[in-house]
Amino acid sequence: MSSKQTNTLLLTVYALLVVGLPLMGLGTALLSSLGVAGPLARGFTTQYWQQLGAGGGLFSSLLYSLYITLVSLGLSVGIALALVLAGGSTLNRQPFPTLLYVPLLVPSLVMGFYLFQLLSRAGWLSRITYQLGLTSRIEAFPELVQDAAGTGIILAQILMAFPFFTLLFRTLYTDARLDELRNLTKTLGASDRQFRQRVAIPVLLRRASPTLVLFGVASMGAYDIPLLLGRTYPQMVSIFVTDRLSRFDLQEIPVGYGAGFLVAVLMMGSIGWLARTAQNYAL
Amino acid sequence: MRYKSASVPGNLLIIGLSILFGLPVILLILLALGQFWRFPDVLPPTYSLDAFRRVVSTDSDLLRGLLLSLLVSVTVALTATSLGFLVARAVARSARPDRWVTLSYLPYALPPVLLAVLIQPSVIRLRLSGSLGGVMLGLLLVTLPFTTLFFRSFWSRQASQYEQLAQTLGCTPVQALTRVLLPLARPLLVTCLFQAFLIGWFDFGLTNFLSVGKVRTLPVQVFTYVREANSRLAAVASLLLIFPPAVLLWVNKSAIVPRTIIRH
Repeated sequence: MSSKQTNTLLLTVYALLVVGLPLMGLGTALLSSLGVAGPLARGFTTQYWQQLGAGGGLFSSLLYSLYITLVSLGLSVGIALALVLAGGSTLNRQPFPTLLYVPLLVPSLVMGFYLFQLLSRAGWLSRITYQLGLTSRIEAFPELVQDAAGTGIILAQILMAFPFFTLLFRTLYTDARLDELRNLTKTLGASDRQFRQRVAIPVLLRRASPTLVLFGVASMGAYDIPLLLGRTYPQMVSIFVTDRLSRFDLQEIPVGYGAGFLVAVLMMGSIGWLARTAQNYAL
Repeated sequence: MRYKSASVPGNLLIIGLSILFGLPVILLILLALGQFWRFPDVLPPTYSLDAFRRVVSTDSDLLRGLLLSLLVSVTVALTATSLGFLVARAVARSARPDRWVTLSYLPYALPPVLLAVLIQPSVIRLRLSGSLGGVMLGLLLVTLPFTTLFFRSFWSRQASQYEQLAQTLGCTPVQALTRVLLPLARPLLVTCLFQAFLIGWFDFGLTNFLSVGKVRTLPVQVFTYVREANSRLAAVASLLLIFPPAVLLWVNKSAIVPRTIIRH
């Protein structure tokens, strides 16, 4: 077999796996939700889509996921930018680089378990506040996990993301030679604040935008953390979809596939739109 | 404001981050060692190593989970790294490499669990549902595009020139690959192998969904113990999950953070 034929074969297998399998899945999910394919196929019907729209659960899940993503992404980026812009060269000295790598060793499921043990009403913080006399009984401690505001989920996402963003922004800061730009802007009469707001932050965000978009997708579709720290209502989208597909009621399966199809298309569409917007506005 | 080497804010930051990132390990160790630790005790009344001893006992679920996780992660990492190296070369030599790069990002447009939901019917049709093969196929779907994108920068014009030079000097294509290109790519191969290993090692959602809970890797066991309210064994399994990446961090920091993401 020639080198060209080997390459063609490799690319064909690669395309089948990486593109073919998900797209086929997308098609099957749509057909299942329309009653055309799958174990409950009895001919075309919009019944499952009507069921999906009737409860409003998917819409709430989408809104809830979007809220968790925006808050955790915004706060993580804010903390990381503050550390990089205020810390400067301190972050390059030990033990900072090693310290910032530590949270990257912790799987999200373990982070969820840890925060549950730390923040629940019978958790470590609650025990400390009780012993200090700040709370008098277990119920007096605020609900920080499995709460409606998603505090536990947001905290977990931030703890996992901000060290990574700090490492990312630190690398980008050096790559973009922002220290030289700082000197230049100072020579031209700008203050430190003006340099940060008008030069450093736009440059860092522009360069980090692809990673931020990918993080947004990961955050929107988070599964492990909301499974441990989230409520049964509202649920994040991944939990909403898998929950419907794992129920004993077989009628829920096409509804679950419909939800999966819709969420997948919405996510891919959003990424495409964000990528185009970023290109157009050179974000 | 810029901190000096031993400034107070710098030291406070070090202390703050050390507490923030050290606390998970401390709490997990306390949970694993502590016995009869109930509200409102801040520290366990007694300590015992029996939860850790269960890891080394022969009929232990934890030991089986550890070995299974190692098997899955190592197999997926080796397959994805070797295939990714070759696919990246094929992509670099294709007529439209940019299109292949864009297509490689497709699995990243969806979270792993949603990807698992979408490929589940195909996995059932292939009779791989609930099996190790199904889980590995799912993990390959995530790791192979990653390794392909990872090696994109290696297959530059320079690598091709080295390969051509080796062949001009009498090497066969296989010899050029094994004696010139693989040694050149060795540091990248090692880093990529570690990172692909970590993707498989950390995965819970995709594995749990595709295997319907039957492939009980360590993350699946953590979740099972948490649901059973068995905090001690959940903590031991969590510590086992953190241990290999910690060794990697100690050996080589760059193995932990994906370069392709860092270098945007």
